Amino acid sequence: MNTQLESLGGVTIVTPSGRLDFGAAAPFQSELEKVLAKTPAGLVIDCAGLEYVSSAGLRVFLLVSRGAKRSGIAVVICSLKPAVREVFDVSGFSQIIEICADRAAALAKMPA
Amino acid sequence: MCGPRRRPCEDAGVNERHTAVPGDAAHLPALLTFLQDFWSELNLPATEALPFELALEEVFMNVVMHGSHTDRAPLVKVSMTLVGGGVTLTVEDDGPPFDPLSLPAPDVTASLEARRVGGLGVFLVRKVMDSVRYERRDATNLLQMTKNITEVGPAPK
Repeated sequence: MNTQLESLGGVTIVTPSGRLDFGAAAPFQSELEKVLAKTPAGLVIDCAGLEYVSSAGLRVFLLVSRGAKRSGIAVVICSLKPAVREVFDVSGFSQIIEICADRAAALAKMPA
Repeated sequence: MCGPRRRPCEDAGVNERHTAVPGDAAHLPALLTFLQDFWSELNLPATEALPFELALEEVFMNVVMHGSHTDRAPLVKVSMTLVGGGVTLTVEDDGPPFDPLSLPAPDVTASLEARRVGGLGVFLVRKVMDSVRYERRDATNLLQMTKNITEVGPAPK
């Protein structure tokens, strides 16, 4: 899995692509923790290129969302492919993590 | 086990693949390759592979976690079979007795703060597969998962 980082104003956009499986989960988590440590105003995780997620990957989204909330950082996930979206839905994660259809909608949720 | 009729046995030979790896997380990529090879050799629709990839990862990682409490990594045998319109994935390990289906289902309605991840893997497997069956057989844990696939491609040459 590859991860790209972009900054847009005070918002960091993280774009993972490929497979977020057990092996990719720990590096992805530390990548996101580094982003949160810089306390951006918001974090958008654009999953347009994410092909696959397992429970190990979901765990990263959970821990990062929780950590961000504690630090007052807004987190939105966007552009989930249908197969990945299904895993978020059946696990109930769609209810506890904000998910937007696309990047523009996600950025609109970010603090100005 | 071969029945008295000849054809089903031949079919089983063509539509079945087996592999075995030690129950160590380092072998997860090899299992994924095994699954993807099975999929492409049998010409199965690519979009239908994901639930099986998920089930294989979750079940294998469970075996790895449970096997890590012992001094020897269990041996994990994986087989995939195409029967009619469905695929059966079987994961067998010689680790300590462990029925993953006995785990309580996670509370998928818990809040962000209260949410736990333990047990989520098996929960996902149950959700994405049509049927999941556990059996303790001859000192092995045997988990058999089956799912129909909507469209089976042309038979392999």
